[in-house]
Amino acid sequence: MYFSSLLRKNCPLRAVFIPYIGFYPPNFERMNLFSIFAAGFSILTKNKMIKNFKGTALLMGICLMSGLAYSSSAWASGSHHAMSVEQQKQTVKGVVNDNYGSVIGASVIEKGNPTNGVITDFDGNFEISVNPGATIVVSYIGYKSQEIAINGQTELNILLESDAQDLEEVVVVGYGVQKKKLVTGATVQVKGDDIAKLNTTSALTALQGQTPGVNITASNGQPGEGFKVNIRGLGTIGDSEPLYVIDGVAGGDINTLNPADIETIDVLKDAASAAIYGSRAANGVILVTTKQGKSGKISISYDGYVGVQNAYKMPQLLSAQQMMALTDESRYMEGIPVLDWKTQLGERVYNMVQNGWQGSNFLEEIRVKNAITHNHALNLAGGTDLSKFSAGFSYTKQDGIFGKPVASTYNRYTARLNSSHVLIKGKEHDILRFGENLTFYYSTKTGIAQVMNGYNDIQNAIDAMPILPIYNVNGGLYSQADKEADGWIYSNEEPNPIMAMVNETGNNLNRSYGLNATAYMDFEPIKGLRYHTSFSYKNTSTTDRSLTVPYTASTNKTSDSYTVIQSSSVGHKIAFENTLTYIMPTMGKWNLEFIIGQSFEKTTIGEDLSVKNSALNGTQLPTMQGDMDHAWITNTANALNGTTISGKPWPDWSLLSFFGRWNVNYNEKYMATFIIRADGSSNFARGHRWGTFPSVSAGWVISSEKFMEKTRSWLDFLKLRASWGKNGNQNISNFQYLSPVAFDPSSVYNFGQTILNTTGTKNIGAYATTLANEDVTWETSQQLDLGIDARFINGRLGLAFDWYNKTTKDWLLQAPILDTAGTGAPFINGGDVENKGFEVAFSWNDQIGNDFRYGVNLNLSYNKNEVKRIANPEGIIHGDAGVLSKTSNEFYRAQVGYPIGYFWGYQTAGIFQDQTDIDNWIAAGNGLATSNPRPGDIIYVDANHDGKIDENDKTMIGDPNPDFRLGFGLNMNYKGFDFGLTATGAFGHQIYFGYRKNTTYALDRWHGEGTSNRYGVAVLSDDVTNLNLENADYLRIQNITLGYDFKQLVPKMPFSKARLYVSAQNLFTFTSYKGLDPEVGFGGNNLYGQGNSWMTGVDLGSYPSPRTFLVGINLSY
Amino acid sequence: MNTKIFKYAAAALMAISLTACEDWMDTESYTESNTANFPTSIKDADMLVTAIYANLNHAASQPISSYYLISEIASDDRFGGATIEDPSMVAIDHMMVSTDTQFDFLWKIHYRGIYRANTAIEGITRLLETANDKELANQLLGESYFLRAYYYYELAEMFGGVPLITTTTEEINAPRAEADVVYAQIGSDLVNAISLMSNKKYNEYVEAGHATKWAAEALLARVFLFYTGFYQKESMPLADGKSLSKNEVISYVDDCVQNSGHSLVGDFRNLWTYTNEYTVNDYAYTKGVTGIDGNPLLWAGNSNAEEVFAVKFMNFCGYTYPYQEGYSNYYVPFFGFKGTNGGENTFPFGNGNGFGPVVPDLWDEWLSSEPNDLRRQASILRIEDEMDMSQFIASSVTGQYEETGLYGKKMMPVLSYVAYQKQGTWVNSIFWAAYPGFDKANNYGMTQWGGHFQDLMIIRFADVLLMQSELKDDAEGMNKVRARAGLPAVNYSLEALQRERRHELCFEGLRWGDIRRWHIAETALKSQDNTTMQNAGKTVVQRDGRYQARYTATNGFFPVPLAQIQLSNGVLTQNPGWESADARYARWDFE
Repeated sequence: MYFSSLLRKNCPLRAVFIPYIGFYPPNFERMNLFSIFAAGFSILTKNKMIKNFKGTALLMGICLMSGLAYSSSAWASGSHHAMSVEQQKQTVKGVVNDNYGSVIGASVIEKGNPTNGVITDFDGNFEISVNPGATIVVSYIGYKSQEIAINGQTELNILLESDAQDLEEVVVVGYGVQKKKLVTGATVQVKGDDIAKLNTTSALTALQGQTPGVNITASNGQPGEGFKVNIRGLGTIGDSEPLYVIDGVAGGDINTLNPADIETIDVLKDAASAAIYGSRAANGVILVTTKQGKSGKISISYDGYVGVQNAYKMPQLLSAQQMMALTDESRYMEGIPVLDWKTQLGERVYNMVQNGWQGSNFLEEIRVKNAITHNHALNLAGGTDLSKFSAGFSYTKQDGIFGKPVASTYNRYTARLNSSHVLIKGKEHDILRFGENLTFYYSTKTGIAQVMNGYNDIQNAIDAMPILPIYNVNGGLYSQADKEADGWIYSNEEPNPIMAMVNETGNNLNRSYGLNATAYMDFEPIKGLRYHTSFSYKNTSTTDRSLTVPYTASTNKTSDSYTVIQSSSVGHKIAFENTLTYIMPTMGKWNLEFIIGQSFEKTTIGEDLSVKNSALNGTQLPTMQGDMDHAWITNTANALNGTTISGKPWPDWSLLSFFGRWNVNYNEKYMATFIIRADGSSNFARGHRWGTFPSVSAGWVISSEKFMEKTRSWLDFLKLRASWGKNGNQNISNFQYLSPVAFDPSSVYNFGQTILNTTGTKNIGAYATTLANEDVTWETSQQLDLGIDARFINGRLGLAFDWYNKTTKDWLLQAPILDTAGTGAPFINGGDVENKGFEVAFSWNDQIGNDFRYGVNLNLSYNKNEVKRIANPEGIIHGDAGVLSKTSNEFYRAQVGYPIGYFWGYQTAGIFQDQTDIDNWIAAGNGLATSNPRPGDIIYVDANHDGKIDENDKTMIGDPNPDFRLGFGLNMNYKGFDFGLTATGAFGHQIYFGYRKNTTYALDRWHGEGTSNRYGVAVLSDDVTNLNLENADYLRIQNITLGYDFKQLVPKMPFSKARLYVSAQNLFTFTSYKGLDPEVGFGGNNLYGQGNSWMTGVDLGSYPSPRTFLVGINLSY
Repeated sequence: MNTKIFKYAAAALMAISLTACEDWMDTESYTESNTANFPTSIKDADMLVTAIYANLNHAASQPISSYYLISEIASDDRFGGATIEDPSMVAIDHMMVSTDTQFDFLWKIHYRGIYRANTAIEGITRLLETANDKELANQLLGESYFLRAYYYYELAEMFGGVPLITTTTEEINAPRAEADVVYAQIGSDLVNAISLMSNKKYNEYVEAGHATKWAAEALLARVFLFYTGFYQKESMPLADGKSLSKNEVISYVDDCVQNSGHSLVGDFRNLWTYTNEYTVNDYAYTKGVTGIDGNPLLWAGNSNAEEVFAVKFMNFCGYTYPYQEGYSNYYVPFFGFKGTNGGENTFPFGNGNGFGPVVPDLWDEWLSSEPNDLRRQASILRIEDEMDMSQFIASSVTGQYEETGLYGKKMMPVLSYVAYQKQGTWVNSIFWAAYPGFDKANNYGMTQWGGHFQDLMIIRFADVLLMQSELKDDAEGMNKVRARAGLPAVNYSLEALQRERRHELCFEGLRWGDIRRWHIAETALKSQDNTTMQNAGKTVVQRDGRYQARYTATNGFFPVPLAQIQLSNGVLTQNPGWESADARYARWDFE
């Protein structure tokens, strides 16, 4: 559907707009729906009569729908009748009012004859011709529909009743639920249906863009990979993930659920709401509720889809000739003789290049076209008043779009059974109820390396030399032996990356499975007083295997043995919770609700076991056949070689908590909530264990006040909210209050006469890993939130706005200490971080006629992150070195006055084009990066103007944290059709773009005066400059779905729903970013594969998200 | 009303529960101890001491920020080398830096060793009274003092006065102590170590690799010579306010020479890995050669009688733990040939990073002053003498900078045909497969880097003999060293001793300290000028390496890490000569 053509065809738009809006947009005919809404809003700001606005909106809506006519006595006189009216019919006139006056645009339709309908005019009047004895249906969004039998009446006076149903809906607030309109904190709810209909493997992908203030970034696009999630900005460089609470049990993993199992997701964003989770709520709380049973006939639904995925963007890599030319050019610029390529490559390869071979494209070679993804979910629900159940089973498979022939793949199986049973039933309520929630998941994952510089198969494929053949003359992978046979001597340490991937990095299998089981009992002796007790057990298990097969890809990249790593990990956690809730009978207009509770959580002894062993090629057992099926330790175990073994317990941890909440409201007009929670955590020393986390919030429904009566014609609901709360974060490893003495193989020594010692376990040393800090205690975050919730125009327009200021105090961090300390820094409560921002969400839901419903929502969030204090003299937490290359320096940090994880490096100011530029630069007193500068050198900014370029000139050159995030959704339903579109975007951030030099972007270099003012000739150091960063603003059309429910076509079919849909995911990404994907959650890992969770936006070759086209069905019975 | 009751009830409930439940939250680590309950036995103490030694390996994990490599390159015997991508050592050769972080690791890892030594000293001191085996406890305590002194000595030589931290509890943001104070502590620690450690022969009480009384005596002599030479003092202060005279040091050295059990190995060439059993008969230079001792040449191996103190390596190089690379002797491949040299064509020497090309002046001076000295060719590889130059891959291809055609043999990767046949490719170390006990699977397939296990000699007995001569102004020790090289005895003179030390000990990390303490650094360094060399195939003549100016500006001390100065809030101060623009190397421009 193309809106502007509809507009042109059907609407006398000039006639509409000029009288009612008072202006005529010059390019109206080309305006899209969105700009029309923008125009509509501009009317509000111009203080035009709201009535006009309503009329305009109405008219626009009408015109958008080609099939519907506009019929109104006021308008009709100057306009048209599109619908033919049969003469024998009876004409009925009427007026539709609500409590505040006439209702404009209500639909009046003859029942059973949906094509016969009109819409009320600006005074609420309508006129319709109907068959005698007909019934008309009067409906309007935000009101309850009415059916009126005509029975010969000719004049009707219809009063519509408001149907503010969604405000009466409840949201989950932690240890209970609350009516949406009474909520005083900043929470957001997303319905499971809205998640499931996006058909994503992970619910988090679907949440992107639907929850302003919740910042979700995929680590990378490989199937089964994780996400980085923060709510309202990074509050810490420790664990900044929100707390997930699944069916009341804290600490779950949302990725282990099939989206079809989810009933709702509620996010507690402000500290006051989250305070009920006290010590773990500093980063916000995400409450996931799975589907519960419903009484009635058993309903069965099946959701399934199958799709194909493809990389939507491939980098333009250099050809063999381009790479050779650039290599020669840089040598020439350095005054070094250019290479004799014939000697370098050997005769055969050299001749290939001479004969026009463009070189290898390794990335293209490992690309998988049309990778399959499919998903099947079966849900059952049903029961009686006494016993209800809900069960779900699902299978999901997602293949990766890279890594051929060892491409990544992800499989997930889930099973869920929730049931509840009333044991004693009272007259009005259930007195004793018992229930359980049970979920089990099992997933398998194989993937290619995405770990760190050099251990990243996408990066290796991009970085590989195009002049290196992929295959040898026999069709095998081109190896070191082939190089030697060809007489190849150039960069002998550079391997064929596919050979390394196939034999080493791509051979792995991870299985994880887990069980979450909760049994609960509710005892409600008198109505309103309920005791709830629950016991949960959680099991989390993983097993991993990986295999390296003997190969020699280069002098450097080789293995002479079969190496198997086999590890497993099993953890157990229990939680025991008791709450007592009392909802008092209403006293006059006062409503009161109390809850007090206790919770105890503990990880019991979990186990990690890991074994690695190798068999030198030739010594392996016959059962070691070089594939994953045979990758077992036993198959290498005829000789112990390079063996490492570790078996250790999971850290012991427990948390004991007491909490209470008091909700009070007067006439649902003035509300207040007080929460207090006290937590004791085993992560701290006695005396420092207990933290108390209070919060207070209040709301005022102004629209219920008498003095707001005037505005009721257009303002349905307006609530002001204010909240303040304090939350905690106890998430550090245990025993930081002591100086732990470790005995690990990192500190061993080879005493003795022996030449060799083939194990790493002889003479293990003992050393103190960190200095102790007995005083270490909670990190607390305090947050002030001011918000508005409003509904306008009979609930069609919704607005939610929040402003917040979140300050993390006593930030738990390992502030760098002087090296003279000689060991690791202790955790201290040593810093403050501030996140300030706002979130605004608009929604518009309307219907036109009886059949066409549509909704638009738009949300925008802004966050500014600033470190306020770090308790050491320099005020800096340093990022890792060795991330970008083995010898690269630190290039990001957390520092007072800057956002966490900003990019730190040299600012550049173009290129010296000629000697005059250089002379002028020096004359201005600026320092130089090189002692004998030449044209073509990059100009480093001498930030402190001290005549030299050194570390002191490094400054903030970028920030990987977006300033703004945007979410947009559009949905339309017409008869059996539904259409949905979602988009997300992030703006104002930068990404480290790590592979420019291997792409054709490298050709945009300086190679003579005036050829470039951005990229210079060879750069000496590994230092990062602003030239390595790219703006990564993007807007992604995340999902477009078009569905049709065949129930509409064949009403007699046995299904209640039979929807077929097609969907495109990740269809377009509007971005100027040059890399494969502007969504880069990876923050870089150091030489040991360790990274900082607080860093993002380092693209060394990040596995991109696929573009997916899929087709699916939803069947309900 | 209700609220009040609720609040009181909640408060009461909490108060009761909090105290009762505190026990529920006590946790225990089942795999780690802590400093409050460790050490409790000699075995524990032994582990604390082991961790100080392990730090020696860790310190080797980043050669470009190490005492040994930096001393080598800064001296007049080696240029920086490497390639244009790797400018840090060219910079060091000229007393410049290419990055402000050059010394970060060195500084940090030394203080890490010191902290571990402090932890051990405190822990063992606590145990001493109750220990059953007092001799062993004293030995371990002595080793801890030795190692602390060793770490402080390297720091003091490189930076001058440094913050002096001698307990695990004191303020760490300490200003730099005066050099005298640091040397006094080093002296006292060594004197303590000597008195605590066993009198038994070097190989009779402790396993190889442990510091001994004899190593402490030798190190004390080295420190004494540097301190009194560089600072031009007669004696060395001690921490208790007393001082250490030259005669006392001589008696320590005499004790070491007479009682340690150490001796020179039979032939100088047997000290170096190219004479190992798998290589010696395939290398034209050593094949069929009879040594000075009348036996065929054969590597004396690790932990030989001449090794007074050394860093030991093992088959545990990798990336699983921080600094784990240092379990291989990482220095060795840094000196290997650049690029694809290092196979059949350059047998028996392997490839690597091309650091530290040897300065031709060393060869020339040696040739003219001591033409019959076998140690010249035993120590220096002159490729045009030993290789088929038509097969040698030129620096224009390898990108090698400052190529002089001379390489140091003592620390080159060594190849063997046995290893080649086992592996099917030229691997960089005799240890790869040649030695049956070796399994490289532990080393991440690091064929170039993971398999170097020759000890890094810190103190060699020949050095002790030469120090003895120098301290006593007599030729006795020196002539023993000369005799082992097949050279006639000479009379003692400082010049003769200086020459002897340079020839005997070149490429062993000692030359830089020697030329500084003898105050001949400026002239010695100048000898590197007017050298013709190849920079990635471009023939250049280094006319002025600015050695003299830079040495004068810095007095041979290196910069304190900038990040540490900033972190100290200005408590730490920078050494002279490192804050000016000319301290910064950016491009080779010494023509």
